[in-house]
Amino acid sequence: MSLTDRHKSLLGAAGRVIVGAILVYAGAAKAAGPTEEFALIISYYQLLPRDMVMTVASFLPWLEVLVGWALLLGVSRRAAATAAGALFGGFLVALLSVLARGIELPNCGCFGDSVHFTIPQALLFDSVMLALSWAALLHGGAFSLDKWVDGGYTPRGR
Amino acid sequence: MKNASERRAAAWALVVAAAAASVLLAGRTRKPFSPDAPAFRVKGPADAKVVIVEFSDFECPACKYAEPVLRKLLELHEGKVRFVFKNYPLERVHRWARPAAIAAECAGRQGRFWELHDKLYDEQEKWARETDAFKTWEGYAKDLKLDLPAWKTCLQDPAADAAVSRDAQDGLDAWVSSTPTFFINGRRFVGAQQLGERGAPFVERELKR
Repeated sequence: MSLTDRHKSLLGAAGRVIVGAILVYAGAAKAAGPTEEFALIISYYQLLPRDMVMTVASFLPWLEVLVGWALLLGVSRRAAATAAGALFGGFLVALLSVLARGIELPNCGCFGDSVHFTIPQALLFDSVMLALSWAALLHGGAFSLDKWVDGGYTPRGR
Repeated sequence: MKNASERRAAAWALVVAAAAASVLLAGRTRKPFSPDAPAFRVKGPADAKVVIVEFSDFECPACKYAEPVLRKLLELHEGKVRFVFKNYPLERVHRWARPAAIAAECAGRQGRFWELHDKLYDEQEKWARETDAFKTWEGYAKDLKLDLPAWKTCLQDPAADAAVSRDAQDGLDAWVSSTPTFFINGRRFVGAQQLGERGAPFVERELKR
C-alpha cells in the first residue's frame, strides 16, 4: 500500500512539529542551565579541542532552540529540516565514535540534566529524529508560515 | 506587509522571540546559595581575596580525581585563598555518599574533618565497593584516634544528617548537577579539567586584582 499525498503531507508536518518540539525542549533545557555543566558532558566525548568546548557548549543549545522554533512554525522549513538532520546526524556520529572508542558516558547530554539516556537509547532516539527530519524536509510544508511568507495573506472572496 | 522579504524577516523575528522566551521559561530561578559551612570544613583566612566553594561527594570518582588538582592549587596559594567544603551526595548512584558525608561531619565535630576527608578520598576505591563501609571507616576513625563512642553516637544524630541536607539544598539552589562543582569567587567550574585549566588561571587573576 502506497502513501497518498495527503498521508505524506500529514506525516511530514507531524515530523516537523515533533522534531521542532524536541529540539526546543532539549536546547532550552541546556541553554537555561550552566554552560559549564554542558561543557563537561561535551568534553566526555573527547572529540573537540579543549579550548573549543566552552564555545560549543554556549552556542549549540541556542542553535537547537532556533532550529526547533523554525521547524515548529514552518519558517525556512527546508533549511531548518536540513539543519535538524545535520544536528541529529552529528549526534549519531559522536555517539558511534564514543561506542567505538569504548568511552563510558555518564549521560549523553541530550537534554542537559533533565533526561538521561543510555548510549543505545540515544542512538535509537537520534535515528528516529533523523528520519523525521527527512520526512519534514520532503513533505513538511503543510501548516507552515512559509506559505504565508511566499504567498501573503489573501482574504476570502478577493 | 507588502513583499516576501518583509514577511520572511517578520517570521524570523517571531522565531527569535519564541526562542528567547522558551529559554527564559526553562530557566529555574537560581537562588543565591549560602557559601557558609561549619568552621571545621573551612580553610584559609576569612578576609581572603579568593573564596573557593566545592560541592563534592566522597564516593564520586571524579571528585577523587580532582583532589590532587585542588590540593596543589590550595598549597600554591596557601594563606591567600579560603576554601569551603560542602557536601553534595549523589545518592541515586552512590549508596555510601551520604553516610560518608555524615562520618566526616562527625569527625569534624572532633576537629578531625580534613584527616577523614583525605582518607575517604584516598581509599575511596576500597570502601565504595564494600557491603559494609562502616567497618572500614571505623578503622580510619581508630587510626585518627577519634573518640569512637562519641563518633558512633554522632553517626545517628539527626543534626549531622541535617547539616548534609542543608549543603545539598545549597547545591540545588546553585543548580549543581555534577560533582565536583567549584565556585571560585562565585564563578562556576565543573570537574578537575575545568578547575585545572580554567580555574587555576582565574585564581591567579583574582589574586592580582
